[in-house]
Amino acid sequence: MRSLTLEGVSFWYPATDSPALRNVSLHVARGEIVALVGALGAGASTLLLVAADLAPRVTGGRLTGSAARHDRSGIVLPTPWTQASGMAFSVWDEVAFGPANLGWPTHEIARQVDRAIEQLELAPLASRDPVTLSGGELQRVIIAAILAMDPGLVLLDEPAAELDSDGARTLWRLIRRLAKDGKAVLLATSTLDALPEVADRVVWLEDGAIRAVGPPDLLADVAACDAGLGTSVATVWRTSGLPGPYPLTVAHALRRWR
Amino acid sequence: MIPVLRLDGVSFSYGSVPALADVSFDIAPGERVALLGRNGAGKSTVVRLIAGLQRPDEGTVWVGDWDTRDCAPEELARRVGSLFQHADQQLFASSVRDDVSFGPRALGVGEREVERRTDDALEDLDLTPHAAHHPYDLPPALRKLAALAGVLALEPALLVLDEPTIGLDRALRARVTRGLLERSAAGAALLVITHDLTFAAETLERGLVLDRGTLACDEPLAALLGDATRLEPFGLEPPPVAALSAALDLPGRPVRAAEAARELARVARGRPAP
Repeated sequence: MRSLTLEGVSFWYPATDSPALRNVSLHVARGEIVALVGALGAGASTLLLVAADLAPRVTGGRLTGSAARHDRSGIVLPTPWTQASGMAFSVWDEVAFGPANLGWPTHEIARQVDRAIEQLELAPLASRDPVTLSGGELQRVIIAAILAMDPGLVLLDEPAAELDSDGARTLWRLIRRLAKDGKAVLLATSTLDALPEVADRVVWLEDGAIRAVGPPDLLADVAACDAGLGTSVATVWRTSGLPGPYPLTVAHALRRWR
Repeated sequence: MIPVLRLDGVSFSYGSVPALADVSFDIAPGERVALLGRNGAGKSTVVRLIAGLQRPDEGTVWVGDWDTRDCAPEELARRVGSLFQHADQQLFASSVRDDVSFGPRALGVGEREVERRTDDALEDLDLTPHAAHHPYDLPPALRKLAALAGVLALEPALLVLDEPTIGLDRALRARVTRGLLERSAAGAALLVITHDLTFAAETLERGLVLDRGTLACDEPLAALLGDATRLEPFGLEPPPVAALSAALDLPGRPVRAAEAARELARVARGRPAP
């Protein structure tokens, strides 16, 4: 069952001649985790804005092709601190801001907020004023605030950027659980080493167009390594001059070595 | 030699929320130091204290021979260049070039020198093609890089950088590494907060770990990053290259990609390491 369908999408930001996306066709199914990778400026963030119906509706610009969402979407931006409501004096109230604006009954708001706070392990911070939080803590609060609105299509732009190792592990585990619960997840990340254990499919974007789509093994391809998109292990293997196929992870490398 | 930075018994609280307790360390000129630890451990508070935006409740922050209590942030900017966590907050000019040149110009450096420093900083971070762009037309990761260029253009004795590589691709991270190594070779000290341990391994040499506001660890970074049992209590784990070196038992347990590749090739050819 599809959650997002993009067919031949091209997108131009306002007052630009060259498109930020070129003829992109991509489907994301419920229960699936799709990771967008590419060099900076390749179009991953723009694709997420299109998927969230923010581009061109909010950004302006022009879109050709078609973008259809079959579920309500929620997006975590790469600047999550810009997504705080600024109207809440506790983490709990901040997370409740979105659900409250959906007009849900109070008990449903409380249920969703409690669940999101538990998922992001935020209980110890629930009564803290959001302005006293560190960057990584606030990033977890914003992710919780988006999940509390129970989106069917979860869009995440660099969701682990400010998280410590524990926080990142918790997030990747949570993303797998969300997919298991039937959510569609589309994410952009430069943390390539996390993807073998997280993503079902990897989409390699280059200059606004899809260059390749495949399982995470794509990140051990010669071409991906040469483009700076190999995992650390695959890249070290390639640099060493050892023959391919390159191992994707430490565990793969260990098996090859023995 | 006077350290570039000395924290001497520093404690700080946000109201009733304690952030740092009795933290002491020195940084020498040219040293490259990573400041690691969990979210909320107090890392960004250290940055704010060094930049003079907060004053310690107890203890002293020395920048060279200046007590930060006696200095306004704009005076401290002559010695400390700070990149804050949310660098959007430090950009305001209508072009990247104007933003980068603002710092040195405000320091009263001559116009020719301002131009040189601006050109160097933009060049160091591959930002020359974006010099005429409005900072807010750039993606967030490049905005942060533009803010970093502005900090480099100050050419301070100490660079204090909070998460400089967020959202950057591998090529740009390598560019940041190269730029910082050049500044360090020229004598600037680096104190870098990062959760990107791969970047830390490639760029830095000494590791400080903050744990719930206290300094829990101060040792050579390569040894620390290669030791999973030492990292575990701080919620950290070895970066992939260090984990690979350990798993394959590569000689010297390298934590940098180029060194690991060299050792891998050497061992694979059956030749012992020298």
